[in-house]
Amino acid sequence: MRMPREHRLGWLLSAPAVVAMAAVTAYPILAAVRLSLYRYDLRFPDARTFVGLRNYATILTSAIWWKSVAATLIITVPSVSVELVLGMGLALVMHRALIGRRTVRTAVLIPYGIVTVVAALAWRFAFDPTTGFVQGLGVLDRPWLSARWSAFTVIILTEIWKTTPFMALLLLAGLALVPTDVMRAARVDGATVWQRFFRVTLPLMKPAILVALLFRTVDALRIFDTVFVQTRGALGTEPVSLVGYDTLLVSLNLGLGSAVAVLIFVLVTGAALVIVRGMGDALPEDRLR
Amino acid sequence: MPAPSGCRAAHILRRACVAGVVFVSACSGGVASGPPVLRWYVFDEPSGAFATAARRCGEESGGRYSIEMTPLPTAADQQRSQLVRRLAARDADIDLVGMDVIWVPEFAAAGWILPWQGDDAREAVRGRLPSAAATVRFRNRVWAAPLTTNTQLLWYRTDRVDRVPTTWDDLIRTAESLGDSGTIEVQGARYEGLTVFFTSLLASAGGRVLAPGDTTVALPPPATERALGILKRLATSTAADPTLSTSREDQGRLAFEAGKASFMVNYTYVWPSARTDAPEVARHMAWARWPSVEAGRPSRVTVGGIDVGVGAFTRHPRLAFRAALCLASVKSQRTAVTMGGLPPTTEALYDDPDVRSVFPFADLLRQTLREAVQRARTPLYTDVSLAMMRVLHPPSEIDSVADVARLRSAVQRALDSRGLR
Amino acid sequence: MRARGSPFERLFWRATTLVVLVYVGLPLAWIVSLSLKPASDLADGHLIPRHVTLDHYRAVFANPHFPAAMRNSLAIASLATVLALGLGMLAAYAVVRLRFPGRRYLLGGSLAVAMFPPVAIVGPLFDLWRRAGLYDTWTGLVLPYLSLTLPLAIWTLAASFRDLPWDLERAARVDGATRMQALRRIILPLAAPGIAATAVLVFIFAWNDFMFALSLTSTDHARTVPAMLAFFTGASRFQQPTSSIAAASVVVTVPVVALVLVFNRPIVAGLTAGAVKG
Repeated sequence: MRMPREHRLGWLLSAPAVVAMAAVTAYPILAAVRLSLYRYDLRFPDARTFVGLRNYATILTSAIWWKSVAATLIITVPSVSVELVLGMGLALVMHRALIGRRTVRTAVLIPYGIVTVVAALAWRFAFDPTTGFVQGLGVLDRPWLSARWSAFTVIILTEIWKTTPFMALLLLAGLALVPTDVMRAARVDGATVWQRFFRVTLPLMKPAILVALLFRTVDALRIFDTVFVQTRGALGTEPVSLVGYDTLLVSLNLGLGSAVAVLIFVLVTGAALVIVRGMGDALPEDRLR
Repeated sequence: MPAPSGCRAAHILRRACVAGVVFVSACSGGVASGPPVLRWYVFDEPSGAFATAARRCGEESGGRYSIEMTPLPTAADQQRSQLVRRLAARDADIDLVGMDVIWVPEFAAAGWILPWQGDDAREAVRGRLPSAAATVRFRNRVWAAPLTTNTQLLWYRTDRVDRVPTTWDDLIRTAESLGDSGTIEVQGARYEGLTVFFTSLLASAGGRVLAPGDTTVALPPPATERALGILKRLATSTAADPTLSTSREDQGRLAFEAGKASFMVNYTYVWPSARTDAPEVARHMAWARWPSVEAGRPSRVTVGGIDVGVGAFTRHPRLAFRAALCLASVKSQRTAVTMGGLPPTTEALYDDPDVRSVFPFADLLRQTLREAVQRARTPLYTDVSLAMMRVLHPPSEIDSVADVARLRSAVQRALDSRGLR
Repeated sequence: MRARGSPFERLFWRATTLVVLVYVGLPLAWIVSLSLKPASDLADGHLIPRHVTLDHYRAVFANPHFPAAMRNSLAIASLATVLALGLGMLAAYAVVRLRFPGRRYLLGGSLAVAMFPPVAIVGPLFDLWRRAGLYDTWTGLVLPYLSLTLPLAIWTLAASFRDLPWDLERAARVDGATRMQALRRIILPLAAPGIAATAVLVFIFAWNDFMFALSLTSTDHARTVPAMLAFFTGASRFQQPTSSIAAASVVVTVPVVALVLVFNRPIVAGLTAGAVKG
């Protein structure tokens, strides 16, 4: 008697959350899959027809789509890698610091709390030739957002600034899980600082690193706000989200745009699965040490 | 995850929607009594000229209606996206729409604005410059009344050049010879202004984007290559602004007013602006026809402006047509030009002393407008334009031979409704 | 603890702290500086304004769109927070305290929802909202915000509930209290800090959203601050809006930064516990 009652209560309590999440994600994504099989353009309301996979063929043969995939990766890979290194440094500082530790911990939360649009604007103004300060730094004097690679640089810097703290906090939590006796044992065995870091700390932190990577990679692949504010996708900096947004909500071409949306969903899910699989391998190996 | 089936979720979502609708309509409050208020969605005209016209029309209606202006964002692409989403949502609040001329085919084809009939249709285009009247026609019907028009002129510094260059090649050469101060301000950011710039170059070279009928690509190779070549040459010249690839009209105006540039292609608003903001520059500021591509063949410049249409879901269509006629009447145009510096669509106004005092270049402006060209008149215009600017941007990386084919195929895809945005 | 470390070490940590503070603070200081400079000094490149003016702040509040957007943002983010906390607490309690089949799927599923790209669902939502009359309404934003806030709420609440002394609840029930009484009198006060931190995090997520606000609103009726800021223009097109945007940015940043600073400890715990312990 007891077990089923507990089951029922558990389901009852989780049902509202499950239903709400399904209603605002599962249902719309299924609707997107359905719409993506139609020619459905609100500018031609009478011309709604079933077209099968034609929208997907259109996108996958479009140079615009592949360029936007490239732009997304050009932003994602450097920002996540730099964030990982910087975040690790920051985490070590917060872990080891005796003085100013609280100040640092509090300060790094600020970029995290700031609205992304505001962060993007702040960096745009900072790099602007008339209102900025970066051009005051000698060799850096150039119209940053007017050329392709410098525009990418500004976008990536903004991303790094905004999200490194999050990365650092996740890694800090991972560092806290490294047992002190293991570290002490390593020190007694005569391991140098570097050896201790690479041979002991890093392997033990692998799960935390992978979690941080997962969160940030998925997040970076969805990048939208920063690019919208800084270049609006000009100069080949257009990420996939912006292509999706423009097709759906500027063109109102809901059929084609939904196909873009589904492809983005597949892209993000694929990336997440790859990292999760890496995580699955890491965990048991970890426990053995 | 124990996800409920799509149907169940849909059901719940729909119930949530119903609750939301009740909530929202409860919030919108009671219906005001008195004459109906017509809402005019139009860009936020800064001088107050549109607001003045709206007030006057309400007063002159003899209590039949009043007009309330609802301003749209300043940038044209944002104005459009806001409007089309609300019209797609069948917003009955939109009685009158101030449309950029390029939206008319799109709004008409989608059924977002009402066609004009009989006398109203004739009145809407009577006495208008042909290029302005053409902006409201689509599929042999009239869809709006032209309120203002616009086109670009060449602005230059009389204290730095003694002879006005008449062709683009000539202009670039002259500017280069001036050294640092020789900059030419043009629109090179990836936005509608770049499409406009290219369209004017192409038309001046004797080409057009779409073939007559506006359903197939034209882009004749010789003219297209010529236009691309000029854009490329300008962008890679020392006469180009270093920020060309992010330059819009207003950046160009500011650079010109700061004395950093000697030439600029821009709309007429730069004249009143320079006179107030930079009087020393304005003293040496003069105008000329937009440069031509081939010597001896006058330039053909792109026409812009605002047309007033009637929203398809309005509760007061008959009053809205009356109001639209009033908003685009000669009186309103006069307000728009004297207060806001916006060129009128009624041809006769160019002889009006008030207009001529605002526009000392009225004759040149009228001549340019008489020979002005339309941008592609297709419901897919925004896709076509975006496809073009994707190829054209950044102008310094144009390959004037290879890009002819890329441009043609990009525009063709957009016309097939296969253009990603 | 405090007194330990050689003078050299102390200097090193002080310097590191300074570097971090500059890294965090410089872009912010710049935007604050831009918001205080008169228009004529805008391009002077000085971090410390030579002249200070509050004109831009006055202009921002005089612009009717800004107070409207603030009101919308506050209301929508608060509603989304309350809703996510309500639903999230029930689910988190179930996950932590009850054994039932599908429990793990709930956590896994909400993690999947947290990774959902908003652009994938914004199109169908627009299509649905435009027909249901939810386009450009508060409800039309609060509902999709559940996809951002609910998974976060469930994870952080579950993490903080796990650390609660549930034995006390059991003891109270032995003494004759009902489950609800035990929860209300004993557990709720202890859970309060975790719930507060979750509320702050969830609020920040909703406050931060740009994509949904941009896509599903269009006027002062429901447009939120981030969407308004992206379209912020000066009083006229003759005016460079940089200073106004800077002032508006400062205004919207201050409350969030204040919240973050006040709740920094539970937030750090909430953020990391969810991700690492889970």
